[in-house]
Amino acid sequence: MSAWELGAVPAGAMALWCEALGDDNAIHVDPAAAEALGFGPRTVNPGPTNLAYLLNMVMEARPDREICSIEAALLGNVLAGDGVLARGTWDQDTCDAELVVAPDNVVLRARIETDGRDSDDGEGFRSQRL
Amino acid sequence: MDHFAIPPGRFLLSAGLDDAIRRSCAAPQRRAKEAHPVFAFVAALGGMGARVGDVCRALGLAFDEGAVLGRCRIDYDAPLTVDTGYDVAARVVSLERKASRRFGAADHLTLGMTVSAAGRPHARVSLTTIMPAPGPAVQAPA
Repeated sequence: MSAWELGAVPAGAMALWCEALGDDNAIHVDPAAAEALGFGPRTVNPGPTNLAYLLNMVMEARPDREICSIEAALLGNVLAGDGVLARGTWDQDTCDAELVVAPDNVVLRARIETDGRDSDDGEGFRSQRL
Repeated sequence: MDHFAIPPGRFLLSAGLDDAIRRSCAAPQRRAKEAHPVFAFVAALGGMGARVGDVCRALGLAFDEGAVLGRCRIDYDAPLTVDTGYDVAARVVSLERKASRRFGAADHLTLGMTVSAAGRPHARVSLTTIMPAPGPAVQAPA
């Protein structure tokens, strides 16, 4: 079992993510827009940011591994100020991970496959999988 | 959806942006030049030749009524590195209308993107954005 925790999701970081993602969805930066659309009076964390929390957990748990694939289902929203817990169980190189908003609301599930860092062709590229 | 073309684009992954994204999500520090793996997603979406909202609007979808990310898959061919420019090719894979507990009916738009540098793919990304469907709700298939 691996775990990673963030006490409060920062509202201020969402604008940075939106700029990098080219995402102009107002629910991420304007609490009034989020409330008007039924998300409540706090901005909504971009989905990729939630995914990054799971990847942080994997990188901290297995720093010797390289991530080779992610399959994720986003089931709910994380709002500014929420505390989040990433947790995962491992079966060899594969982590079944989930992101939880307190008390126990699973908002993201993902299967993350990893590989050894010595399996590439010397230029950072893995052999083509057939 | 084959008739709807998304122009190719480019994403510059700078060390400064990697640092800022890592700080914003409390990520571990970078090892050598390897960017945070979430940049496969960020580069795909941020680097394609049109903003995702504009693609949705051009398709007549209700992006501004509360679009959310539903699913994604990322396959990595190589780690993304900082101070590297990536070419992004994107296409519409599918557009489906489905029943939705939240919206009554929802449109599911799936985009497929390839993030490449120097002609070699580094990541292949598929993501599905979900938006409320305009008009009356549709019945879910049995």
